[in-house]
Amino acid sequence: MDYLGQQLINGLTLGGVYALIALGYTLVYGVLQILNFAHGDVYMIGAFLGFFAMTWLGGPLAPTVPVALMLLVMFLIAMMGTGLLGIVIERFAYRPLRNSTRIAPLISALGVSILLQNGALLIFSPSIRSYDTSSYIPSTLGFSVGELTIDSVRLGVLVLSAVLMILLTKWVNGTQVGRAMRAIAYDKDAAVMMGIDVDRVIRWTFFVGAALAGAAGVMNGLLLRGVSSGMGLIPGLKGFTAAVIGGIGSVPGAMLGGLLLGVIESLAQGYLSTNFADTITFILLITFMLFRPNGILGRPMMVKV
Amino acid sequence: MSNLGIGTDEWVAQHEERLASQSPLKKLFARIPLWAKWGSFFLIAFLFGMLSDNQYLLRVGVNLALFIMLSYGLNIVVGYAGILDLGYVAFYGFGAYGYALLSSEQLGQHWPTYVTVPFITILTAILGYLISLPSRRLFGDYLAIVTLFFGQVFVQLVLASDNITFPWADDYVDITAGSNGIPGLDTFNLFGYIFDDIKDYYWLLMVIVLVLTVAIHRVSATRIGRAWRTVREDALVSEVMGVSVKRVKTLAFVAGATIAGFAGTIFAGMQTSVFINGFDLPLMVMIYAAIILGGSGSLAGALIGAIIMTILPELLRVPNYGAILFFVALLLTFFVLSKKFSRFLIYVVSIILIGFAFQLAMKAIGVTQANAEDWVVGFTGDLLKNWLFVPENRILWGNFAFILLLSLIAFFSIAKPIWKHVLLPFIGFTAIFLWEVRLIADVSTTRQLIIGAMLVVLMILRPQGLFGQTRVEIL
Amino acid sequence: MKLFSKLSAIVASSALALTGLVAIATPAKAADCTGTVAIMAPLTGGVAFIGKEQSGFAQVAIADVNAKNGSKIEFKEYDTQLDAAQAATQAPNIVANKSVIGVVGPAGSQEVLAVGGLFGANDIAVVSPSATRTNLTAGTYPSFFRPIPNDGLQGPGNARYMVQTLKAKEVAVIEEKTAYGTGLAKEFLAEMKKLKVKATNFAVNEKNADYAAVVTRISKTADFVFVTFQDAAKSQQVAQELIKQKKKAVVFGSDGSDQPTFKTPGTYVSGFAPDVSGLAVAASAVAAYKAKTGATSITTFGPPAYVAAQVIAEAAVRACAAGKTGDRATVLAEIKKTKIKKTILGGPLEFTATGDVKGGRFYIFQTQKDGSRKSIG
Repeated sequence: MDYLGQQLINGLTLGGVYALIALGYTLVYGVLQILNFAHGDVYMIGAFLGFFAMTWLGGPLAPTVPVALMLLVMFLIAMMGTGLLGIVIERFAYRPLRNSTRIAPLISALGVSILLQNGALLIFSPSIRSYDTSSYIPSTLGFSVGELTIDSVRLGVLVLSAVLMILLTKWVNGTQVGRAMRAIAYDKDAAVMMGIDVDRVIRWTFFVGAALAGAAGVMNGLLLRGVSSGMGLIPGLKGFTAAVIGGIGSVPGAMLGGLLLGVIESLAQGYLSTNFADTITFILLITFMLFRPNGILGRPMMVKV
Repeated sequence: MSNLGIGTDEWVAQHEERLASQSPLKKLFARIPLWAKWGSFFLIAFLFGMLSDNQYLLRVGVNLALFIMLSYGLNIVVGYAGILDLGYVAFYGFGAYGYALLSSEQLGQHWPTYVTVPFITILTAILGYLISLPSRRLFGDYLAIVTLFFGQVFVQLVLASDNITFPWADDYVDITAGSNGIPGLDTFNLFGYIFDDIKDYYWLLMVIVLVLTVAIHRVSATRIGRAWRTVREDALVSEVMGVSVKRVKTLAFVAGATIAGFAGTIFAGMQTSVFINGFDLPLMVMIYAAIILGGSGSLAGALIGAIIMTILPELLRVPNYGAILFFVALLLTFFVLSKKFSRFLIYVVSIILIGFAFQLAMKAIGVTQANAEDWVVGFTGDLLKNWLFVPENRILWGNFAFILLLSLIAFFSIAKPIWKHVLLPFIGFTAIFLWEVRLIADVSTTRQLIIGAMLVVLMILRPQGLFGQTRVEIL
Repeated sequence: MKLFSKLSAIVASSALALTGLVAIATPAKAADCTGTVAIMAPLTGGVAFIGKEQSGFAQVAIADVNAKNGSKIEFKEYDTQLDAAQAATQAPNIVANKSVIGVVGPAGSQEVLAVGGLFGANDIAVVSPSATRTNLTAGTYPSFFRPIPNDGLQGPGNARYMVQTLKAKEVAVIEEKTAYGTGLAKEFLAEMKKLKVKATNFAVNEKNADYAAVVTRISKTADFVFVTFQDAAKSQQVAQELIKQKKKAVVFGSDGSDQPTFKTPGTYVSGFAPDVSGLAVAASAVAAYKAKTGATSITTFGPPAYVAAQVIAEAAVRACAAGKTGDRATVLAEIKKTKIKKTILGGPLEFTATGDVKGGRFYIFQTQKDGSRKSIG
């Protein structure tokens, strides 16, 4: 039981990170019906920004401000930075293609992805950066119930991703921009006729989606892996996967999809062969998609009559 | 006229007008008969094969031919039938690994080529059929992700199958050699003729590409070809019109898979080794870029796209070619943006003046200059070395220029026309500075940056691809 | 238009004249020692950190050799993205470049398998700074060398040290599924079997996101976790995760983990050099590399590339002295005679007949409380 609990905790934290990335895909898909394949690289830039914010505040070994403040600044800078990057990407790579085929933005997104990756390689140098979390947050700090342990970083990531998801839900449901976004997702032409400034809403969508990816990038640095220019590919893919199994375009779906993916990965590694864990994960996902072809919460595809 | 939505009645009504307003060059190109265009390509390929003995160029030619096969295949799946198959490259890998396992010491099998290749190709076709079965339930992006999963299952399975353990056995079983890959494969041996030279593969592939080109061209004009396109345009209507959508889609899927599997066996024989990381997402992405760049649904587009995505990255390995491309693109951009030749000259002169001003300013504030021999790469550096001030700390200044350039371009896109004229020379200078200070010295990264920029720019300029037709799209 | 074309013609012709003048002003000296060292490495893509560092260090080495001997040896980069097919495409390109006298790289063992034969047939020396698979020096590739010891030494060596000196009773292995990680883990496991110590293997994908699930799976009674990552940040994460989950096992990293980011006190790591970053001989090379590329830290992939390039460049200089400037076969023969008293890795370097380091060995370090490394064996 403890073992299962521990693996569930592992899976949920990982899933929280996936969910934040998935939200970016799903938000953009909701308003524009395009797959933003540069999203994983936005996540990478977020991780770098968080790292540089940390170095700016004295670095992991000698922070010049209290650790909590440093973490706050890291998240804020990363989220603001990636949010702005999201707006810029939309302006240059997607807006010119808004009325073209659906497949063209896929390739311009790919171009942006190559540009971001290699731009980062050029400017940030190829060294893998480590957040070195254990220097300022001791690994022994945490809670344990019986055999079950959860350390403070993992708990923090879990809580923060939950908070961000709640805030996002409130934003989508409660604010004017959020409502406009849903209106556009439902019927773009009607939304335009109702006087909704589509450009503005799309800018906001990209900002919010990218900022969430930025936060996920910092979480990755704090908890999971080192930061390098090529780190975005796989999390980007996982985020995309999570968004689709959740039902692309659905905000709660992306959250559920992310968590589900994280838990499946953890359990596959924890109970079955680690060697075949990825194979098993993908086969499970295929099976799932066959039984629910539109994801967990996806609407069936509209068929024109 | 340009602000009409594609597909609206007015747009359709202006079809003739648009044809009439085409540039003379385009009309001339349209007048060249089809066989002559294709013939010239194959003639060049033939002459090259006859005349060249350069192993490297021949190998690039072989790579190109394999890539053309892959883009032809994917073009049937995506371009004709409209199925977004993100696991396509797994069929290529399956073909290659299939050949490898039956022609190496890995399993101790050495089947004759004339058996292995057809056998594996047919096996790939069957695999394609099996995978298309569950995929029938799915549409659009959901189908895309399931095919992506299938592709990943293949990669992960090959990676993991070097270490299969059974509860009853003490030792593990190694089938695919995992990340180690399988080296030392037999090269092709067709009835005693051993393919021991890259040129043998070159000729073989040339014939295959020629046959495929003719075959696909013929098929696309038949009932099946028309059915594919109607399904792509509107599955519902074609179903109503009596086309069996499922059958037509399956056929396209299987045809694509078969071509990829066949290409895979040839690749394995030519390379005489297989490694799984060659059949993963990066290749997938390149094939997609090729067919969409060329124009999805167009055979010529798939060919041109394959040529661009194979030849350009090789050309860009040479700094001078990269430099030519960069400066020509820069001048062309300025030429197009300036609209008038006199204005273009003013821009160029201003850039030159900014260069001298920059030199004075840097010397005035006492920045150390780098030695020319430290930064000059290729002929452009030689030409510019007395004009361009290159600071000693090239990394720092290069990074600064990189960020400045991006900000200037971003600012340019939202600036008022007057400001645009002021900004342009500065953008030009920053770009040249960045190029000489940082980019040209780092060919490999720059190569990728150029490819990325090219994809974005080409898509924006021509969303339908080079040979694609603007189509009415139904969501 | 006319004015412009005239202007450009004038500019072009004067530029030509200028270069002509320069060429006349400096007549070629007979003693000039030239040649190109090709660098094959993953310079872009997912593991660009490996290739960029190898290339940077190789360039520093060539500059050092040139400065010392007054030679004019150049370098040229060939990006392979760690892909055997790309390496195999570039190999004939390198062979066709008549000025190439030797190759630093390719980085991966699988790439060596794909290109070693062609280079051998053309007498081009291949000195790989990171291809450690044992069977590469079985004699199949007559022109292949490596300045670092192979997996066959490291895997069993580490296993024996763990069991005989550290008295391990039970170990877990995290095998990263790369050409590097798999080979090494297999050698390690085979030795553990011989020593009759229980070793559980967890093969994990290179792109694995989170190691927590694997750590949860590691037995509470395991004494050590042997990891074969190429990126030390992962070893650090496994070590921290073990602490977080209150497991007693201690991480023992292979040479891929011998980087400053892996710094949990009490952990072990094996390295092919007495200590790269601390050595006085290495300090200037490391500083030059950082200044050249703007890198902030170094891994274990760079310094061997320095040695690899040094070996080729020095052999080329000796070939020049023998009057055989740029002759591939002579350079290859000279590389076989390589005798360096102290490389930047801290030890002497000579090659065996098959291209391995003579008397190569691994050193084992333990990380101290302040994060520094202490050599213990």
